[in-house]
Amino acid sequence: MNLVRAELLKIRTTSTWWWLAVGAFVSIVLAFAFNAYLATVVLGGEAGNVGMSAEQSTPAAQAANIYTSGQYLGLMFVMLIGILMVTNEFFHQTATTTFLATPRRTSVIVGKLVAASLLGFAFWLATTVIDLVAGGIFLTLNDYGTQLGEWPVQRALLFNLLAYAIWTILGVGIGTLITNQLGAVITAAVLYLVGTQVVGLLFLLLSNLLDTQAVLKWQVIWPAVASQVMITEGQSEFVPAWWVGALVLFGYALASGVAGILITRRRDIS
Amino acid sequence: MSDGQPSPTSGQIVVSGLTKQYRNVRAVNNLSFTVESGRVTGFLGPNGAGKTTTLRMLLNLVTPTSGTATIGGRRYADLPEPLRHVGAVLEASSAHKGRTGLNHLRVLCAAAGLPRQRADEALALVGLTPAAKRKFKGYSLGMKQRLGIAAAMLGDPKVLILDEPANGLDPEGIRWMRGFLKGLAQEGRTILVSSHLLSEMQLLADDVVIIAAGQLVRQGPVDQVIGSMTQGVRVRVRTPQAEALAAALKDQNATVDADGQGALLVAGVDAATVGRTALTAGVELHELTTERPDLEGVFLELTAGKAGIR
Repeated sequence: MNLVRAELLKIRTTSTWWWLAVGAFVSIVLAFAFNAYLATVVLGGEAGNVGMSAEQSTPAAQAANIYTSGQYLGLMFVMLIGILMVTNEFFHQTATTTFLATPRRTSVIVGKLVAASLLGFAFWLATTVIDLVAGGIFLTLNDYGTQLGEWPVQRALLFNLLAYAIWTILGVGIGTLITNQLGAVITAAVLYLVGTQVVGLLFLLLSNLLDTQAVLKWQVIWPAVASQVMITEGQSEFVPAWWVGALVLFGYALASGVAGILITRRRDIS
Repeated sequence: MSDGQPSPTSGQIVVSGLTKQYRNVRAVNNLSFTVESGRVTGFLGPNGAGKTTTLRMLLNLVTPTSGTATIGGRRYADLPEPLRHVGAVLEASSAHKGRTGLNHLRVLCAAAGLPRQRADEALALVGLTPAAKRKFKGYSLGMKQRLGIAAAMLGDPKVLILDEPANGLDPEGIRWMRGFLKGLAQEGRTILVSSHLLSEMQLLADDVVIIAAGQLVRQGPVDQVIGSMTQGVRVRVRTPQAEALAAALKDQNATVDADGQGALLVAGVDAATVGRTALTAGVELHELTTERPDLEGVFLELTAGKAGIR
């Protein structure tokens, strides 16, 4: 498809993606070091000291954690790429030429969404290969084996892929809603980094107010929480099942994609 | 095509009853005009007259409140491969600052399904090949304008629409553009150029469409529009015996006015008649000049009182 090729070429011919890739790599290295340290402590029998439950202290759960190192910030970086794919068009005033080349605006946005998910896939692939190599070596050296045969590990890897694709799409949606580049990037980054804590706090207040802890489950409506829930093993009184997180996240991607198309179709480009 | 029905392959532009109402201002008000192929048409109007809005509605970038604008009988959005039919250079069309000129064009080729080498060819066409691998932020204003023209020429279109293309060009660049556009019109293409540089338009355009305050003021061939004005060709004559000459000229049914600077403005007769009359009357002449009204004078007269800022 021509438009997907054009979008990927747009990304390739500027240096932005390179900086975000460097950022993602740095966050992988830091997160991997932290998770490897955590695994050493937890699997060494001191899980209680770092507040881990028995379910979270199996080698498989720790392996899943290690193999998805760097996801937290990585997802933010792919979301930022998605945002920039749209806001760049307005910031650099290329929207005019883009829509002259393709007056069917729905196709332009769909092209961006497809290119965004491909890019999310590429980031996931690179992240996962790095994590698999480093994690495999680390776990093998510590006599746990690679743990790659375990379903929780495989599931974490696969859903991580889904998360990367969805967050990039979400970025495109945010970009169409807030076309101001700086505004969109700052809003999204703040909501992603700080929003989760704020939402957690609000729900805690709400649960006190209603005198029930059942509402805590509803934190999953916040995309970053949904993303966490999706890759988390097991459910509890406070955490819904993984598929709830997946559904919520998918719903956000769909809603932002559709909203992006509708808004872009109506917008005057001047 | 003789019956006025444009075929799908023709490059005729038809604007019909076009209106754009913004929240507080009616930028374009029931505007209708046509642009023929094989000619350069100047689209003129004071700042804020609605030129850019009209062009953007023609190109499906801005949605009209009412009315239609078609190119070769179709709306821009309905053209199957728009870049192969229409090329446009708009003021607020730019490129990513960190992308090279060549890559900018390659992205457009990819999006429009054009072969990749068209990017190199279009750069060569506007003489920008030496700067192909330089980033857009390093381009001068004139180079940016040329890159915009290269982008418009990617699909070798039959119709070219340019919004203030002379902005930022040096005299050499303006002369290049004039030759370039005239050449394209001679190949049978439709060229629509908006501008407020009237002297340049008089050199470049075959036809003009003049708008003010969002409405059509006058449309037609440049000569006809100029000729239609009340002030026709006049002869400026300077003489120490003004009264004697004025009397002799009035006998020839000429109208004579003082220009307030010691010369006479004579209408109704040509310079040769004025000279012969002076010789017969024995009047000494110091100056004898034919003055033709120019596009600028006509434009100012036509748009007078129609404020550009609304």
